[in-house]
Amino acid sequence: MVNVHKRRRFMAVVALTAASGIALSACSSGSDADPSASGSSGGGEAASGEDVTLDFAFWGNDVRADMYTQSIDLFMEEYPNITVNSTFLDYPAFWEKRQTEAAGGGLPDVMQFDYSYLRQYSENGLLLDLAPYLGNEIATDGLSEQILGIGVVGDQTTGIATSTNAWGMYTNPQLLESAGVEEFGGGSWDDYKSWVAEVTEASGGEVFGGTDYTGRIQNFEVQLRAEGKNLFNEDGTPGFDEARLAEFWESGADMRGEDGSGISQQKLEEIYPVSGFGSALTASELTWDNFGAGYLGELGESYTELGLVAPPVTVEGAKDLYLKPSMLHSVSASTEHPAEAAMLVDFLVNSPEVGAIFGTNRGLPASTTMQEGMTFEGLDAQIRDYEESVADRLGDAPPVPLVGYGTLEEKFRVLGTELGFGTVTVEDAVSQFFSEMDVVLNS
Amino acid sequence: MVTSTAHRVDEDTRQKAPAPHHAEVAVSQKQRHWRESLAGYGFLAPWLVGFFGLTLGPMLYSLYLSFTRYNLFQPPQWIGFDNYIRLFTDDPNFTQSVKITLIYVLVGTPIKLAAALGVAMLLNYRDRGAGFFRSSFYAPSLIGASVSVAIVWRAMFSADGPVDNTLSIFGITIGGWVGNVALVVPMMILLAVWQFGAPMVIFLAGLKQVPRELYEAADMDGAGPVKKFRSITLPMLSSVVFFNLLLELIGAFQVFSSAYIISNGTGGPAGMTNFYTLYLYKRAFSDGQMGYASAMAWVLLIVVAIIAFVLFRTSKSWVHYQGENR
Repeated sequence: MVNVHKRRRFMAVVALTAASGIALSACSSGSDADPSASGSSGGGEAASGEDVTLDFAFWGNDVRADMYTQSIDLFMEEYPNITVNSTFLDYPAFWEKRQTEAAGGGLPDVMQFDYSYLRQYSENGLLLDLAPYLGNEIATDGLSEQILGIGVVGDQTTGIATSTNAWGMYTNPQLLESAGVEEFGGGSWDDYKSWVAEVTEASGGEVFGGTDYTGRIQNFEVQLRAEGKNLFNEDGTPGFDEARLAEFWESGADMRGEDGSGISQQKLEEIYPVSGFGSALTASELTWDNFGAGYLGELGESYTELGLVAPPVTVEGAKDLYLKPSMLHSVSASTEHPAEAAMLVDFLVNSPEVGAIFGTNRGLPASTTMQEGMTFEGLDAQIRDYEESVADRLGDAPPVPLVGYGTLEEKFRVLGTELGFGTVTVEDAVSQFFSEMDVVLNS
Repeated sequence: MVTSTAHRVDEDTRQKAPAPHHAEVAVSQKQRHWRESLAGYGFLAPWLVGFFGLTLGPMLYSLYLSFTRYNLFQPPQWIGFDNYIRLFTDDPNFTQSVKITLIYVLVGTPIKLAAALGVAMLLNYRDRGAGFFRSSFYAPSLIGASVSVAIVWRAMFSADGPVDNTLSIFGITIGGWVGNVALVVPMMILLAVWQFGAPMVIFLAGLKQVPRELYEAADMDGAGPVKKFRSITLPMLSSVVFFNLLLELIGAFQVFSSAYIISNGTGGPAGMTNFYTLYLYKRAFSDGQMGYASAMAWVLLIVVAIIAFVLFRTSKSWVHYQGENR
């Protein structure tokens, strides 16, 4: 009896302690939230000058993270009352996280944003309309009408483009030299494939001429554009049929697999998240032209330069390339500090110092103010010259990507890896992609 | 919610404190009983709140969502059984994911239990140093669910990793397991088997309960170790085997974190680590198809429930409880 009593009293004490602990912590979180709410909810569009903290999120690798850290340190020096907490993830994880945050109403104040998700987030009212801040917190002297137009969805400016980029092909001069093969001198996709096979053969299979380019939807888009079509039309319908996609995937067959002329998918899996090109295992890579700085970072100090040439030609004289906003900066609609958030966007988009830090890591800066801070040496100059050199292949930008484009792009990539492993036939891959498209386009 | 619970507990105890002296005789049996159950529920309240608010509520909501199309941005849209129909008739990824999950569960669980039982018997054999070995075998299970172990595992089995290098000494050159379509599932099974500590500890406790006399009597009759294992150890342990089997099966169906980390969240190579829950997660959070993912979750729940039910049913014929005459 005594024992039971004692135990019961003990349990009561435990329960009380636990309960009061919960109550206390509930109190303290309540008081935390209070001052920040009263600090800015007074309809205040203008910066209060009070101490505020902003969350900032971006995707990228360590190289870019370093650049952001330096830029944000400069920002906090200039605005001592603003503290910026930044986080970064790789691209797929970044969007998984944003999606849950979007549903829970907790998006970071400022985000690096991608064109392919802009429509979805804007149309659901998750992004702040930055129009009232243009010309005030966000200087527009350096931003052309065309650049500002990129971030407009419906009638709201929900993103500011940091930079633009174009599709291109990086090559590794050191690997080419040791293989004794000339730089890719232009030509058709078939020419490119033979060039890749030549490099792979010349190196004795140590390194590869390239990667199976049919794993990337952008190469498909370039080919479709050359034929006068879009990947996806304004109304969301695809600009290709099953037969065209099958033809595209079949065209990469020689580059795939253990005996293919390109790097095998198994090797790529093992070195992930570093790319084949960044590991000096492939001599060429078709990608956005702003990837150069990242590659140089991955390749290490023995590399100071890369080749950058135009992608293979599908149809002579076609305008198959275009300038894409490589990324934008957006502000969450639920931010408590819209003015300060806009100031951070301005700094990251316009500041010449930030331009000096980033170079062309995010693409060719969209803001001429930012470009003033850049000296355009080495890679940066190369990218600028490259975009000039392909000027007659640059056409109008395609329609703003449809909602769910990100999912389809990822599906395309995954099917590409499965083709690489040979675990799926081209026919099955095509039907899988079309059934996925069916789901995405109808939701 | 939380504070009100705290209050109630507070009042309960305050009322009770002075009670024993005055009221003990006056309070009737019934009242006392009522009061006690009230106190019981009071203490249960935090758990009940959690159960209804955080478990049952969301579960029922996900049942509703499984009949809708819901992308997190727009309100759910009722589509009837479309999600389920798509799952079973029009989703090759689902079929692939079910296949590798079943391989993982059906191959991994028996090996894991066998390893657990084997080590438990070795530990039971001698007492000297048992504590040390018990702890060291249990350690992988403690840290096994953590991110770091999966990362280490990935590093160990990649090309030029320790496993690759060791095997190449014996002339076996495989390269990396992680990127190898044929070997990544066996590698995942190895990772699961290696974490046999939890069932091992339970087996060990069960082994300690087996009466020594039975073995002594068997020794007298000249039974060998195999005979003793089959006729004494296994029957006496059957209830523990049943318990472990049930828990490990359910756990194996839910394999997620190791697959997520080893494949960097992609389920690669070629969907070979796209285990059921990882695929469910990707559908929900990468693709924003919450309704579809909910349907997948309910299919998993039903399958696991059926397996548990069948196990319970068959258990009558092979599980032997001590002190029972069956």
